[in-house]
Amino acid sequence: MDSSKILDFSQVTLRFGGVTALEDVSFGVKSGELFAIIGPNGAGKTSIFNCINGVYKPQAGSVLFEGKEMIGERPVNVARQGVGRTFQNLGLFMNLDLIDNLLLGRHLKMKTGFFSGALWWGRAKNEEIKNRKKVETIIDLLELQPYRYQPVGLLPYGIQKRVELGRALSMEPRILLLDEPVAGMNLEETEDMARYILEINHELGVPILLVEHDMAMVMDIADRVMALDFGQTIATGIPKEIQDNPLVIAAYLGEAS
Amino acid sequence: MSNPSKDLKVRYQQDLMLWRTPLLRIGLLTLIALYILSPIIWETFPVTKFLSDVGLTMTTLNYAGVFAVGAIGLNLLTGYTGQVSLGHSVFVGAGAYFTAYAGTTWDLPFLIWLPCSLLVGFLIGFIVGPLALRLRGNYLVVVTLGLVFLGDHIFRNWKSVTGGSTGVSVTGASLKIGSIDFRNLEIFGHEFEKSQSFFWLIWGFVAIVALLVKNIVRTRPGRALQAVRDRDIAAEIIGVDLLHYKTMAFAISSSIAALAGALFGVLQSFISPIDFGLLVAIQYIAIIILGGMGTIHGSIIGAFVLGSLPRFVENISRDYDLPGVSGDEGGIGGMISISSLNHIIYGILIAAFLLLEPRGIAGIWMRVKTYFKTWPFSY
Repeated sequence: MDSSKILDFSQVTLRFGGVTALEDVSFGVKSGELFAIIGPNGAGKTSIFNCINGVYKPQAGSVLFEGKEMIGERPVNVARQGVGRTFQNLGLFMNLDLIDNLLLGRHLKMKTGFFSGALWWGRAKNEEIKNRKKVETIIDLLELQPYRYQPVGLLPYGIQKRVELGRALSMEPRILLLDEPVAGMNLEETEDMARYILEINHELGVPILLVEHDMAMVMDIADRVMALDFGQTIATGIPKEIQDNPLVIAAYLGEAS
Repeated sequence: MSNPSKDLKVRYQQDLMLWRTPLLRIGLLTLIALYILSPIIWETFPVTKFLSDVGLTMTTLNYAGVFAVGAIGLNLLTGYTGQVSLGHSVFVGAGAYFTAYAGTTWDLPFLIWLPCSLLVGFLIGFIVGPLALRLRGNYLVVVTLGLVFLGDHIFRNWKSVTGGSTGVSVTGASLKIGSIDFRNLEIFGHEFEKSQSFFWLIWGFVAIVALLVKNIVRTRPGRALQAVRDRDIAAEIIGVDLLHYKTMAFAISSSIAALAGALFGVLQSFISPIDFGLLVAIQYIAIIILGGMGTIHGSIIGAFVLGSLPRFVENISRDYDLPGVSGDEGGIGGMISISSLNHIIYGILIAAFLLLEPRGIAGIWMRVKTYFKTWPFSY
C-alpha cells in the first residue's frame, strides 16, 4: 500500500440486487490533494461516498482511511475517524439557525451530555462559549456573518450550500467529501464556492474528495481527476489527460461513430 | 426612542443568556411573584377572583401544572426529536401507579419515591426507545398506539398493584420534605388548604422541569435531538449516534411523564385506568400542538389553555344555558353533554391549529413579537 495515500479506495464492488453500482473501483487520495470524481448521472459517484461513510456496505473491496478499514463501520464511527461530508441535495437541519448547524458539526468535538447540559452552569456553558468561538472562525472564513441567527431553511440555496460546507468544516475533518457543491448555482456563486474550496484545501491543508458535474470548475481546481461511467473507472489522471481522453469524451458526449 | 447600540452584544455569554432583555427579566420577576403570591391572593384579589369564578380555580391551575410537566416531556420527544408518540399516557400512568404503590404499600418517604418514580419512567422509556430506531413516522405512531392498549391491559389486570378497573388510592403517599408537609402546609402558624400548597409543589416542579429541559435543548444533546428530527441521516454522518439519542429522548421524556403521573396521582388522590387512556394521550398531543411544537413555553401555555378550558366551558354552559347543550353530565335535556362539547372543542382546536398555525400559540406570539420589533416596517 502506498503510505502517502490518506484514503485508499481499492477494488470496491457494490451491488443492489442485480444492479451493479460500482464495479472494481479503485483510487487513492494523497494527503493535501484535491481529488475529483466526474461522471454522468447514475455513474456511481455518490455511491462511492456512501461506501466511505458506512451508509452502504460494498460486497467486495476495502476502504482504508489513514490505514483503518471503514467498510462495516457505522456512519458515526466513520465520522469519529474524521471524515466530513456534504450532501448533493443538502443535509442541513433546516429549522435550526446557522450557529446551531455549525455547532452540530462540532458534535464530536464536544462532550456535554444530557446531565451536564441540563445543569448548564459550569461545564456546559464553558463548552458552548469555547466552541462558539471556533464556529466564528468558520463564519469568517466562509463569509457567513449576516446569517448567524437565521433558520437555515430560510436562507437562499447558494448560502445553504455554503453553510453545509461550513458544517462539514467545523468537524475539523481529516478529509472532506464534497458531493456536488456547486450544483444548481450560478456562475458567481460557483466561483465563490471554488474559491472557498481552494482556500480550505490550500490554507487548511484538508484533503478533499470532490464529486461534481461542473466540468469547467473541476478541471480548474482539481489536482487529479477520476472519470466514472456505469460504475466503472474509465480513466484517472491530471485534468488535462482526462479532458483529452477519448473514453471520457465518449461517455459524456456519446460515441462519435 | 430606544437606543439600538445598547443591545450590542460584546461577549458570547450575553448571547447565551436565557433572560436576555430587560423586558424578559421583568416577565421572569412577574412570574416568580405570581408563583409565590397566587395561592394566597387567588380567591380574594378582584381579578383572580373573577378568573376563579369562571372556572380557573386553584385546583384547575394545579391540573394545568401537571399537564404542563407531562407536556414538556412529550415536547422533548415529539417537538424536539420528531418522534411522534401516542403512548405518553402510559408513561404518565406508570409514574402514577408506582407512586400509589411505593407511597402506600411500601410507605416510602417523598424524597425516595419521587426519584424512584422518575427512574421507573426512565427505564420504561429506555426499553421502548430503541423501537424508534427501526420505526419512523406513521409506523412509530401505530406502535406507540399499541402501547396505550398494552398499558391499559396491564393497569386493569395487575390488580395487586393497580387495583384493577376500579383503581387505587394515592392518599397514602407522603409529601413531606423535612418538616414541610404539602398535604398539611403550615407557615408561621397559618394553615393552607391542599389546593394552595399543591400549587406551590406542582408549579415548582413545572419551573424546575422547564429549566432543565430548556438547558438540554440549548446545549449539545438538545441540538443533536433536533438534528435527528430535521435530517437523521445527515445527523449520523456528522457523528450523532441515533440509537443513543433516540433512546435517551424516550427515556427522559417518559421519566418526565412519570413525574407528571406522580403529581397527578397525589393531586387527584385516586387513580384508575381511565386516567391514562387514549383520550389522555391525545390530550397531551393536543397540548403541544396548540402550545407550539419544539418550544418549552409553548408546552406550558398549551397545558394552561387546554387544562382550564374544560372547566371554563362547564361554567359557561351552566351559567348561560347554551342551546343544545345539556347542563347535566349525562346529556339529559340537550343534544350533547358538556364533556362531549369539550371533546368537540378539543378536536376543532387541534384541526384549526394544524391548518392555520402549525407552530401553535408560541408561533403566534413569535409573529406578534416580530411585528412590534420591526414596526413600522414589515421586515
